[in-house]
Amino acid sequence: MLIMIRAIIRPEKADAVLAALMDAGFPAVTKYSVAGRGKQRGIKIGEVTYDEIPKTMLMSVINEEDKDFVINTIMNTARSGAKGAFGDGKIFISDVECSYTISSGIKEGAEVAA
Amino acid sequence: MKEVIAIVRMNMMNQTKKALTEAGVDAFFAHEATGRGIGFVNTQVLAGAEDGFEEAASLLGEKGKLYPKRVITIVVEDDFVDTVVDTLITTNKTGKPGDGKIFVLPIKDAVRVRTGEAGIKSIS
Repeated sequence: MLIMIRAIIRPEKADAVLAALMDAGFPAVTKYSVAGRGKQRGIKIGEVTYDEIPKTMLMSVINEEDKDFVINTIMNTARSGAKGAFGDGKIFISDVECSYTISSGIKEGAEVAA
Repeated sequence: MKEVIAIVRMNMMNQTKKALTEAGVDAFFAHEATGRGIGFVNTQVLAGAEDGFEEAASLLGEKGKLYPKRVITIVVEDDFVDTVVDTLITTNKTGKPGDGKIFVLPIKDAVRVRTGEAGIKSIS
């Protein structure tokens, strides 16, 4: 079973997380920029509230048995300081039924009987 | 209902759009992204390694460079998934590493904002 991991992290942590994933043996990642807010309703600095905070989304599809390891790798790298802080981001997991490599046409992951 | 997420080469976007329209998929969403795959390779280093330089060969597989890509997201009915995947593969295949990936994800529901229609009606 394949799963898709989507991690929303601080843009300045993206390089560290990508390097950590590479060292951990998970090179395949797609990265794009997003903007959003969390439970804290953005940041209030003085009179101004910033509720569209720039973040980076990392997307990776992995085998289910590697799930905890990858999540821990991302979490330990993306956390700011030892305790972490608001705004460090979120990780979402979703099921992937199958995956195709375009260059070879190889299909991975079994179809789930609906 | 299934969500098809395809990561393809930037320069394949025009012909992919055309092929999808011809296959009957009019609605999709795309954005730019950067990424790397399993075959992370610096082309210059690769050329050097093919020419037999040991220094170049030892550099292979070092750090992963991120390449610009396009991500296409299409939500379709279950029995249409194979058509979409076939279209994407035949249009984007060059046979070289970096052609991209296609992921098929189950999706629970979809709603058309304009009318509030849910389910299969919202995507047909």
